[in-house]
Amino acid sequence: MISVQGLEKKYGARTVLSGVSVEFNRGQVVCLIGPSGGGKSTLLRCLNGLESFDGGTITVGGEKLVPGGTQANARALTAIRQRVGMVFQTWNLFPHRSAVGNIIEAPMHVKRVPLAQATERAHALLKKVGLGHRADAYPGEMSGGEQQRVAIARALAMDPEALLLDEPTSALDPERVGEVLDVLRALAEGGLTMMIVTHEMRFAKEVGDRVLVLHGGNVIEDGVPADVLERPQHERTRAFLGLSRAPREAPTI
Amino acid sequence: MGSRVLQLSLPVALALFAGSCGAPEAGEDTLAKIRAAGVLKWGADIQGGAPYIYEDPDAPNGRKGFEVALADALAAELGVKAEFVQNDWSSLVPSLERETFDIAMNGLEVTPARSGRVLFTRPYYVFASRLMARRDNTEITADLDALKGKRVGTLTNSFTADQLLALGIEPIYYEGVEEPYQDLVTGRLDAVFHDDIIAGRYGEPKPELRVVGDFEDGFYSIATRREDVALEEAVDEALERVIQSGKMESILRAEGIWNERQLGLRAWSDEDQRRLLGDTHVAPSMRMHHITAFLQAAGITLAISVLAMMLAIPLGLGLAVMRLYGGWLAAKLAAAYVELYRGTPVLLQLYVIYYGLAPIVKLDAFTAAVIGLGMNYAAYEAEVYRAGIQAVPRGQMEAALSLGMSTPLALRRVVLPQGFRLALPAVTNDFIALLKDSSLVSVITVVELTKRMTITAVDVRSWLIPGALCAGLYFIMSYPLSLYARRLEVRLARA
Repeated sequence: MISVQGLEKKYGARTVLSGVSVEFNRGQVVCLIGPSGGGKSTLLRCLNGLESFDGGTITVGGEKLVPGGTQANARALTAIRQRVGMVFQTWNLFPHRSAVGNIIEAPMHVKRVPLAQATERAHALLKKVGLGHRADAYPGEMSGGEQQRVAIARALAMDPEALLLDEPTSALDPERVGEVLDVLRALAEGGLTMMIVTHEMRFAKEVGDRVLVLHGGNVIEDGVPADVLERPQHERTRAFLGLSRAPREAPTI
Repeated sequence: MGSRVLQLSLPVALALFAGSCGAPEAGEDTLAKIRAAGVLKWGADIQGGAPYIYEDPDAPNGRKGFEVALADALAAELGVKAEFVQNDWSSLVPSLERETFDIAMNGLEVTPARSGRVLFTRPYYVFASRLMARRDNTEITADLDALKGKRVGTLTNSFTADQLLALGIEPIYYEGVEEPYQDLVTGRLDAVFHDDIIAGRYGEPKPELRVVGDFEDGFYSIATRREDVALEEAVDEALERVIQSGKMESILRAEGIWNERQLGLRAWSDEDQRRLLGDTHVAPSMRMHHITAFLQAAGITLAISVLAMMLAIPLGLGLAVMRLYGGWLAAKLAAAYVELYRGTPVLLQLYVIYYGLAPIVKLDAFTAAVIGLGMNYAAYEAEVYRAGIQAVPRGQMEAALSLGMSTPLALRRVVLPQGFRLALPAVTNDFIALLKDSSLVSVITVVELTKRMTITAVDVRSWLIPGALCAGLYFIMSYPLSLYARRLEVRLARA
């Protein structure tokens, strides 16, 4: 359902993505892993137009994004964003709205869902992420894990065909990571298409249908988790996963 | 042409207030000092214009006018030289009291309020109170009582204003001499009641206007400090000689303001002087109607401030959004608006809106005040909101966009409410400032709290009680807002 062809992205002189081509299929949970600066988050952010790009094309369910500013893509972007949800590392809840308020905002004002119906749905979604009792809490009153679960519910409220998650557990306290991963696991079991940038290797192995390794702006591994995570082909992957006996970079002091 | 465009009522009021508090030392020896120094310092306002005192068009830094000539003549009689001291007209008396100059002579009408405060010499000029109206308005007749309910303009705290008040007519107060006649032409006023000199100079040349009639005579006298009895006597005698010798007549003829009325001053007796000064020993005290007027004026201050802020907030928000998200041209226009309004005095902006635009749109004073202050404050609000919006994390916009919102929707529902919240303490502070800045609108004839204090203080001849009442009312209106702003800041800091 999402097709990326020869995607290029530069920040000034620095190349972040150098001709990435990849297909994402419906119903798959794809985990994007790799060292920092490898281009994982940038790729994800390009998929729903939060970043512009310099070459190649992105097609999401028939809507095509082209290089250049968001102006050229304005119409396609609106369509894509309503079909592909996004969850951020720092959750980005609206601090001036309660949990329910956050969730009903887009359905009411983008899809014109009536208040009663949107609210009912919001409560159901909150229950689904285990926060049925926190409906009226404001973001400032919730833990990071709770906020991230509300953020997931908020994205789901738009009935996306796919969910993009950008390091959804990286900003959480270790003891809060599990509650978010549990929610994602349940969503995966329900058949939701997800692309997750993550450092949680166990989760990737357990829940992912497919793992991509990005390094230096390229996809250097692409396969099922068992293969990629246990028998990586690429030297850099082995180094990243700590599997290699090849010397790591010596600490310089 | 003189106009008192830039007379600030608040500074004037404060100057007057300060003047009444400090009782400066001034001895019997002022006259001796003048003789020793060989200089008689006289205070007047050159902005008052012709024929009183004005800049000599033929000599740079030179001054002309019948009061200039009279000052020279009086000084010559005293054997000294006259030295002009520039002073804002409405604060001549307090400046005299704090010894900025020795005598004040600038069309000071002998009113009970003034003669309770200074010593007046015999008059040097008799004027008639002249009523003017538009030619096409036949409703205005020589019957002053029929002016009730009409809009009649005059100068604040003037002899003519006192007459109107005595008839139970609340005048429209002006701080300049030209503006009431302008407003009469444009129809903002039904009539103007003023000294005949001023009417002759600023009203009668206008072809649309006619003289309805002349009423009670009033007098210009020279003022000295209350304790300078010797100086007052010396100046009075000098003035008598100038009048008797016919010198006065030639001075007045030179400015074209000699008339038969002035003959009465040649036979001015002590009895005439007593009658002129009248019963000035008992100052009227603050009464219930003063208090009511104060509360009404406070209501006007509050109404103008609230309405101006209601205009400034959406306008400022629009400007901030134009500047941040509007593209090149809109951003430039918004920036230009902000710089223009912040870079020029609000007093001038009010003047332009009320008088400058009068040929195009005839706004009433209250509306002009609200629009003028609102548009000015919008410039400040725009900057406050811009800072607030920029302080909203970028992730908020991204989250909103990722949910399928358009940029305008994301702004309206997500970014602006948060930016506004961040700006709220600053907005509250701006409102408190506006509450006090609103006193500036008295230049366009709105009687708000500060103006009411100025009027009442002259009326009751003391600044202490009216000043304290005025300060108290401002405080009552602004302090709850200060508390609210502080609470907001605390709450925001916690969030």
